[in-house]
Amino acid sequence: MDKKEVQKRVKNVVAKVLKINEAEISDDANFIFDLGAGSLQSVQLIAAFEEEFDIEMDEDKALEVQTISDSVDFIASYFE
Amino acid sequence: MNYRDLQKDEIATLEEQGCTAPDWFSVQVKDGFSTPGIKNVQFNGQVKLGVFKEMLEVSEGIVKPSGLYNSYIQDCTIDDNVYISCVDNLVGYDIESNVVIENLNTLAVSKKNTFGNGAEIKILNEGGNRELPIFDKLTSQIGYLIVNYRHDKLLIEKLKKMIEHYVGTRKSERGYIKKKVRIINSSVIRNVNIGECAQISGALLLEDGTIGSCKEDPATIGEGVTARKFIILSGSKIDGSSILNNCFIGQGVQIGKQYSAENSGFFANSEAFHGEACSIFAGPYTVTHHKSTLLIAGLFSFYNAGSGTNQSNHMYKLGPVHQGILERGSKTGSNSYLMWPCKIGPFTVVIGKHNSNFNTEDFPFSYISEKNGRSLLIPALNLFTVGTRRDRTKWPARDRRKDSSKLDLINFEFFNPYITGKIIRAGKILRNLYEKTSKNQEYVSCNGIHISRLMLKTSSKYYNLAKKVYIGNEITKRLEGISDTTSFVTVKERLRPVSVDGCGEWIDLSGMLAPKSTIEDLLNSIRLGKIETINDLSDNLKKIHDNYIEFAWAWCADLINKEIGVDFKDIEPQHLIKILNEWQVSAVKLNNMILKDVEKEFDPNSRIGFGIDGDENVKIKDFEAVLGKFEENKFVNELKKESETITEKANKIISEIEDLPA
Repeated sequence: MDKKEVQKRVKNVVAKVLKINEAEISDDANFIFDLGAGSLQSVQLIAAFEEEFDIEMDEDKALEVQTISDSVDFIASYFE
Repeated sequence: MNYRDLQKDEIATLEEQGCTAPDWFSVQVKDGFSTPGIKNVQFNGQVKLGVFKEMLEVSEGIVKPSGLYNSYIQDCTIDDNVYISCVDNLVGYDIESNVVIENLNTLAVSKKNTFGNGAEIKILNEGGNRELPIFDKLTSQIGYLIVNYRHDKLLIEKLKKMIEHYVGTRKSERGYIKKKVRIINSSVIRNVNIGECAQISGALLLEDGTIGSCKEDPATIGEGVTARKFIILSGSKIDGSSILNNCFIGQGVQIGKQYSAENSGFFANSEAFHGEACSIFAGPYTVTHHKSTLLIAGLFSFYNAGSGTNQSNHMYKLGPVHQGILERGSKTGSNSYLMWPCKIGPFTVVIGKHNSNFNTEDFPFSYISEKNGRSLLIPALNLFTVGTRRDRTKWPARDRRKDSSKLDLINFEFFNPYITGKIIRAGKILRNLYEKTSKNQEYVSCNGIHISRLMLKTSSKYYNLAKKVYIGNEITKRLEGISDTTSFVTVKERLRPVSVDGCGEWIDLSGMLAPKSTIEDLLNSIRLGKIETINDLSDNLKKIHDNYIEFAWAWCADLINKEIGVDFKDIEPQHLIKILNEWQVSAVKLNNMILKDVEKEFDPNSRIGFGIDGDENVKIKDFEAVLGKFEENKFVNELKKESETITEKANKIISEIEDLPA
């Protein structure tokens, strides 16, 4: 899966979980500071990424992912 | 003790010094008695006096000669070197040596009574039928059984009989004031026994109670306190105009700042300030510090109530009959509200207002929040928060009890069979729900609360991580130092549990963790009349408590055997190496997750409000001046160090196992 595809699907997941308009999500938006995610939603995002991409994200490494671009890179690494 | 009658010249001197007695032959004295320290005292009834020769520190820096001054004393025995001054009514007490009583309206025993022992308090259920007879040897474990085991009539009957018998031993028409007690500037103290070294200053009213103090850990009653029908134990401090009615105050408890409580029990190391308690069973380490916090009809332990925490036990139907349970380690956030009945699992954080009844007992370490009026459970989220991590080290360090006899039995072990049993059950429930739930569904409902479908698999993963940490923690304790052993056979011997007691379900008896079967055996002994006294019951509970390590290992060994599918007698080195590797990875992961949570305390959001009147640079500098830097934080560095130690330990034990001959 190429990064563009990953990015498109990441934004879609983020929009659904955080209940925001996908168009408002920039490529390097920070989940907490730009998109208003709290602790609970951050964990839900990890769960949603795992489901969307059918991957098992490493528990502690996943929590380090804080932006759209971080998550795209992190998820894309599972498909390399 | 031998007392003699007063001699004629002594009577004459006493009268010259303003003393009176309707019958001087009713006043007896010890050999060595002298009159100079007795002035303006009205004696009445049978009075026995000691020798008053020494100087006493009546308050800090003020030393006065012992003696009796300006007081009315009736039917009292007063031992040596006591200072009593300006007491309007002192009646019916045996007062031991070196006691100071000054400026008091009344200190009297008015009738034969039990000094608060046996007073029944309507605890946990305000509607009644869970009444707890309080007494000065009550432990949180005995309280837990009496209050919660109402389904077992025979047991309750036997327990009540034991207490009744004990209370009988406390019945007397005379009160006692033990050595070195100091009571000053107080109003009325009636039918109250006062233990050694207790300090009472400025109390308004103390009535029908016992203050169980000791020299290692004196109890303190301060300004403006009103207490009726109470037991207050050693090391406790009640002050700040607190109001207690029908309350049990255990060891090392602090209550103050105008707190008011009724029909409630506060066990070891609890703290209650500002707020209100009604019919609560505040197990060890229950803490409520803020105004507008009402705790009502709840069972708690290791609990922290945020400001404005509130519960309802009364739906304006059959009366205040509802009750709730927050298991050990739970917290309620500011202005959180729970509508009883609810049961909240251990180490859970409750945020928001909840108008539905739910049971999350099988989901430890969760968050409960509220969205659009719907209660949501986020299982396992509290496993890796910095708050939880801090709590586990904080409690043992804050055990302020100094009494040589610590009544409440407390287990501080964070991961233990009780909690891990729940962790395993939670994982199973979540996996089950995950398999059954359609991907179109946003939430699933479980025991009255909603869980986001997305969290079912992820939370189950987190619980699995915790299970591996628990197993590794326990097995490494058994494997340390195996380099001294000669073969792997010896290691297997070391791992084999001494007995199977401990396998099966565990329970948390308000602070004490124990195998349910062991407690059931104990209860059976009570039912059969084999345990008949409170002392025997306390001793038997302590024996179980003292065996915690062996019981817990039996439970853990059983779990390991189930996990790897091999009994310890057939275990191979590779099984242990796998467990140790999983432990190392999981424990470090968990610590890293906690570190991520700590990082939030240092992120730009946390700096809001810092650097007033300055730019971003000032903001950062101000923040660092107050809270320091993440990299330099003590907690952060301790956690990092712990991860290194875990890795070193795992590697060391693995290499030792590999080096052992079969």
